[in-house]
This record gives sequence, structure tokens and C-alpha cells, in this order.
Amino acid sequence: MADFHLKIVSPDGVFFDGEAHQLSLRSIDGDVAVMAGHIPYLTAVGIGECRVYLGDGEPKRAACCGGLLNVTKEGVFLAPTTFEWAEDIDPDRAEAAKQKALSRIEAPKSDAALRLAQIKLQRAELRLAVAQRAKKA
Amino acid sequence: MASMKEINLRIKSISGTRQITKAMELVAISKLNKARERIDRTRPFYTELYAALSDISSAVSPLDSGYCRTGEVKKSCFVVIAGDRGLAGGYNSNVFKFAEELMKGKNACVLPIGKRSVEHFARRGYEIVSDEYPEVEDIDVGGCYEISRLLCRMFLDGEFDELVCVYTNFVTMLGQEPAQLRLLPLDKELLSDGSEAKFTLVEPGAGAVFNSVIPDAVAGLIWGAVCESFASELASRRTAMESATSNADEIIDDLKLKYNKARKSTITRQITEIVSGAQTE
Repeated sequence: MADFHLKIVSPDGVFFDGEAHQLSLRSIDGDVAVMAGHIPYLTAVGIGECRVYLGDGEPKRAACCGGLLNVTKEGVFLAPTTFEWAEDIDPDRAEAAKQKALSRIEAPKSDAALRLAQIKLQRAELRLAVAQRAKKA
Repeated sequence: MASMKEINLRIKSISGTRQITKAMELVAISKLNKARERIDRTRPFYTELYAALSDISSAVSPLDSGYCRTGEVKKSCFVVIAGDRGLAGGYNSNVFKFAEELMKGKNACVLPIGKRSVEHFARRGYEIVSDEYPEVEDIDVGGCYEISRLLCRMFLDGEFDELVCVYTNFVTMLGQEPAQLRLLPLDKELLSDGSEAKFTLVEPGAGAVFNSVIPDAVAGLIWGAVCESFASELASRRTAMESATSNADEIIDDLKLKYNKARKSTITRQITEIVSGAQTE
């Protein structure tokens, strides 16, 4: 299968810079997958699992939130707000974040705080799910 | 000539100062190494992000997104990043001078980052958007997202029409320059590099992508500016403390010479006294 150049850069550093043959992630509009030869494409990234397929084996999984995905002729550039490979996820911390978000949702201080807590809950649940799926695989 | 005791006291006090400046220099060096690593990690993110934004900017019209609003600038908001502490040469005053030059003749409000910045603008009676970010050293990516959310909301609500970030660019260890970065509205002329618009499929739509990406991009760019500024502050402090230490060394040498001269002249005087005393007997 044809490979393309993929670069994943978040404010925390460069996470991936190399060849891959498929990238799947969730945009704000739904799931998308990019393979070699894709037309120039740009979208905003939502909150979801990101899979990078290298070779024939299992994909590398990561929790990926926010930012943008830019596909050009030269390669694919993913600039997420937060990005964590499954093996780097700390399930205890994610669980703690989930509980904190849940308690905030029960007694929200304001509309904005409620929305923020809901997003945080979504992120924490995603991190837990990604970590679990990677363990099973 | 000052007495030996006085000179000795001065030598002691200056050695004390020298120890402090030397320690501050060493602290700045060790922190600076970390700060430079951080710059290396974050630079690719915001340079690539800026490049990607310029790619799409040509495809968006002001109608698509509130962030592309154009028109008369009635009020400007400045994010001014300075240090938490002084003793860093001209670092803080250079940023403030640069920022005030930019604000001249504008109806400006300020979001200061860094203790010095908060104090400076509060004392001069500027309108402060938020003074919740006094510690430039402790601010993290999350803090930048908070700032960005706040500023983007205010921009969309029309509380200001222009957002500029004033920071210090870390050019080299010895040279740091204050710089400005216009964050909102997106400056199309600045963003596009003059090449023809590339055909890019934007899903679900340029406006929607912009609305979702801009707050992240603003946060990323502010974070980048914070990293640059913090490294500049440390580099500037290191240089200032290095010259303070060498100045202290010079003064100590000078004082030691004076002390020895004073000591010699007292001894000579005493000998003369003894000799003349012995002769009279």
C-alpha cells in the first residue's frame, strides 16, 4: 500500500514525523480517514480516537482533541490541541478527571462552566476508552 | 583616604552582592536551558499552524466567520508578556516601551501576562481585561487556552476589534527583540504569501473550520509567545547578572588595592613614630 508523509505536532511537541499508510480520526463533522493520494483537504478536529496505520499490524492509537488537519500534496499535517498516544495515557489520572468533571456537571457554577465540564468529561472518557482498546489489541 | 575598617566593610558588602548576582546568573542559565528546549518543542507547532491558516485564509470571506470581521478598529486589545521579576537588564522596559509605542493614539485595553506587566499597566491606568495571569513562569498550555477562550469570546461580542500580542523574540542568547503579532482579525495580506490560492477542499465549510480552529490557534500562538518571552527574560537576566558579577569583581580588586595602600601607609606612619620616639630619648 502506498505511504504518505504524516506529521503530528501539538504544543507539547512533535509526536509523529514519518511515513504512514492511513490516518483515521474524528473531525467536528464525523470520522474521516486519509490515505495516500488524497486531494488537498482541510478540516477541524473534534474529540475522538486517532489511529495511525503503519505496516500491516495493529494501528497506533491515540486520544486526539481539537486543532486542525491539513492534507496537502506534500503530506498530511495534523495539529491537535492535545494528543496522547495510548501507551502514554495514565488511566488513573483520566479516571480522576472524569470524576471531577462529573461532580462539576452535577453542580455547575455557570453555563460556561457546565459546557467546559462536559467537554472535559468527554475527553476523560475518550482517554479511558483509547487506553482500554489499546490494551485489548 | 578612607580608613582600613571602612574599606574592609565595603569589600565584605560587595562580596555579598557578588555572591547573589553570581547565584542568579547560575539559576538563569539552568532555567534557560529548559526554556530553550521548550521553544524547540513548540516552534514547529505554531509555525506550521500559521502556515496552514494562511492556506485557508484565501478561501474565507468575512461573511463566513466572525473572526474574519473587517472594518474600522475602534478598540484594540494588547496581550503584553513581560517578566515576573526585575534585574533582567532592559528586558521589561524594552517590551513596555515597544507596547506603548504601538498603543499610541489607539483606544487600547491590556491583558498583561507577568507580574511586572500587571503592575506596569495598572499603575499607568490602562484598562485591564484580566489580571489573573501574573506568573509568566507558571503559565502552561491550559492557561493559554483559558486566555484564548476569553479573548475570542470578547472579540466575537465586539468588545474590541483588534487583538495584538506583544512579546520578546528570542533571537540568540545575546540578542532579544520585542515583537508584535496580530492575532485577530486574521490579516489576510500578512497571512497569504502572494502565491496563487491553492485548491483545497474545506469541510464542513471554511467558516465552521475557522470558528473551531481560531481559538486553538490563538492559544497556540500565545503559548509560543510566552515560551519565547520567558527564554528571552532568562537570557537577558543572565547577561545582566554576568556583567554585574564582573563589575563587582572589578570594584573588589580596586578596593583591595586601596586597602593595601591604606595598610601600608599606617605601617609606615607607625614606624616613623617609633623611630622618631626612639631618637628623642
